[in-house]
Amino acid sequence: MFASLLASLLIGFPPAAPERPVECLLPADPDYYRVELVTTRKVPGARLATGHGAVTYAASPFGVSISPEGSYRMNIDIQVGNVRLDGDKELVAWVTTPNLDQIERFGALDVDGRVSGQTDFNKFLLVVTLEPKGGQPGPMWTGPVVVRGMSRSGLMHTMAGHGPFETEPCAVYGY
Amino acid sequence: MMTSNRLRLLVALLLAAPVASAQDGMDHSMHMHHDMPMSDSLVWRMVPMEGMTMPMMPEMMDDVPEVGAFLPGFGMDAAMLPEARPSEIIDMADGDTLRMDASFVRRTIAGKEYVMMAYGGMYPGPLIRADRGSKVVVEFTNNIDMATTVHWHGLRLDNAFDGIPGLTQAPILSGETFTYELKFPDTGMYWYHPHMREDVQQDLGLYGNMLVDPTEEDYYAPVNREVPLILDDILIDANGILPYGEEAPTHALMGRFGNVMLVNGITDYNLDVQAGEVVRFYLTNVANTRTFNVVFGGARIKVIAGDVSKYEREQFVESVVIAPAERYIVDVHFDEARTFEITNSIQGIDHFRGTFVPEVRTLGTVTASGKTDTDLATAFREERQNADTKADIDAFRRYFDHNLRLTIETNGLHPLTMRMMEVDTLYFPPIEWNEGMPMMNWLSTGDEARWTLLDEDTGKKSMEINWDWKVGDVVKIRIFNDPKSFHPMNHPFHVHGQRFVVTHIDGVENRNMAWKDTAIIPVGSTVDILVDVTNPGKWMAHCHIAEHLHAGMMLGFTVRGAGDAPEVGR
Repeated sequence: MFASLLASLLIGFPPAAPERPVECLLPADPDYYRVELVTTRKVPGARLATGHGAVTYAASPFGVSISPEGSYRMNIDIQVGNVRLDGDKELVAWVTTPNLDQIERFGALDVDGRVSGQTDFNKFLLVVTLEPKGGQPGPMWTGPVVVRGMSRSGLMHTMAGHGPFETEPCAVYGY
Repeated sequence: MMTSNRLRLLVALLLAAPVASAQDGMDHSMHMHHDMPMSDSLVWRMVPMEGMTMPMMPEMMDDVPEVGAFLPGFGMDAAMLPEARPSEIIDMADGDTLRMDASFVRRTIAGKEYVMMAYGGMYPGPLIRADRGSKVVVEFTNNIDMATTVHWHGLRLDNAFDGIPGLTQAPILSGETFTYELKFPDTGMYWYHPHMREDVQQDLGLYGNMLVDPTEEDYYAPVNREVPLILDDILIDANGILPYGEEAPTHALMGRFGNVMLVNGITDYNLDVQAGEVVRFYLTNVANTRTFNVVFGGARIKVIAGDVSKYEREQFVESVVIAPAERYIVDVHFDEARTFEITNSIQGIDHFRGTFVPEVRTLGTVTASGKTDTDLATAFREERQNADTKADIDAFRRYFDHNLRLTIETNGLHPLTMRMMEVDTLYFPPIEWNEGMPMMNWLSTGDEARWTLLDEDTGKKSMEINWDWKVGDVVKIRIFNDPKSFHPMNHPFHVHGQRFVVTHIDGVENRNMAWKDTAIIPVGSTVDILVDVTNPGKWMAHCHIAEHLHAGMMLGFTVRGAGDAPEVGR
């Protein structure tokens, strides 16, 4: 007994496994902040497109990744399916603020319909557009929007300008 | 029902705007202590509403929390109390004894005097400095007018000295003494604070650090100086410190945010250094609920260690995110002669307008002048790989045992608070950086909001839970902060007497771990932690937002030593 214990210590075995079996009852990923991508139904071959953006924190020693300005820094893994493309076109993903004053290109989706990027916009839209294959990337998309979706934070809406809380013109806030 | 509620809300809100600006300083004396003359009695007054845009509802204007107003030291003449001194370092050798009390003191904050509390007459309390592996004794005497205990946060000490009333010791009544035996098995920065009504006692100044020095050479990279920084906030208006709830804490929903920021107990912290110095800051967040995002005015920051150990590898960061009770050790390079502002830089939320509001509050300054003779910039630029930490963690990378959901139950919250919260549900931020709804938060007490730890495996809640572990176990806990609960909020989750690593957040592997005793659980996230079960006894784990702890957000676990029989009812 002592010898086996000594041996296991010497070769660095991990501690004994717990008696109960592994069982995951809770979700592993943050459904709450997931961005559903909805088709515009305007692009031939992509009218039934589906997709989502999985939103997780960028790597950080603090668990949550925060910019020096206090914004969340998130990794976004985009996946789009149900799209049939012509050979000279490709899908390109973008992230932008709700009023489109800042736009960043994540890049072209791969053959599995995936691409990843990072953003620290407080509220953001994910946009996937149909672009000429191999074209020079510009500051903004030029092709039609295939699917788009809004961050959970983008759903946060003014109480000042709508419904029972209406006290100010909502246009002040851009929506 | 829906229509009538909505109509009521509409009427209330339409009437609300004109009175929104007239609330500060409002006297609610008619609601409390009717039989006492105003000048001698403590009465509720409206919480400060600085920068708030949310209109208040007339129906709530005269409401006060459903508990008595309470402020220790109320009525004492501050001039008759000893003036608190800045913290001093107490170097303790193995076997040394420190006699320390908690007492009322006179403190000056931003030019005004207050009756507050102090350990050893100091703010923060004395910094106990000892070598790893040593043991010391603290003979603690309670000289305040409330029962108290001292929790030695993060230490893997003997269970009898963990400072938990009713679990490891009886409350220390006013005038009584309790002898704590501390041991320091892990290098790093730790802290001590009360574990009875810490929403009151800790907020009034009862906190201090313990710095455990390494015994190994070259454990850390060289630096020019070491500086402890304790971050805090306190809620003060023109009439003084806002009263606390007597029978239960107020601010049970979001915790008690302060409106005055404190670094090492003062509002005008400044550190003078020479240009080119690398300063090692030992950061501790002792605020009741506020999470800080600390920026050092553009100086480069390198994270060295978390609560209980170094990281597997040092890492440059742009800011330090630190939740209540967490500690981080960071090296900061002040590479030029100028003033560097230490700020808390956040994106608060304006719930009324549905917008993010950038907020930068100055916590202190570092003034760099001249030029250091000892240039450590080269060592600073290196991100050291810590093979000792990596090896220490290597054996603990699997296992799964408990599923814990963080949620809240309500009972008798103000109906308008309930409705406002139900309306404002489109987005809950991962971290509540600011207090978006001060009055509704203030009105909520621990009697009406029950924060809950729900064991998904057994259905048991909070202190019904008593997990049964044994020394040598490695326990994986999956913690899910339910975004669909009534009021989801981030929770700093603290495990007593053991250490843990965060292995995954939202299914993403953590590739740079450090041993921790407290970790942020953001809203909507699932955080997997691995607990290294080494320390026998009856322990607690809980949310370290003081008001949430008192609103029930805690559980128990027993660690059996070799040969101990398992407890019934696992």
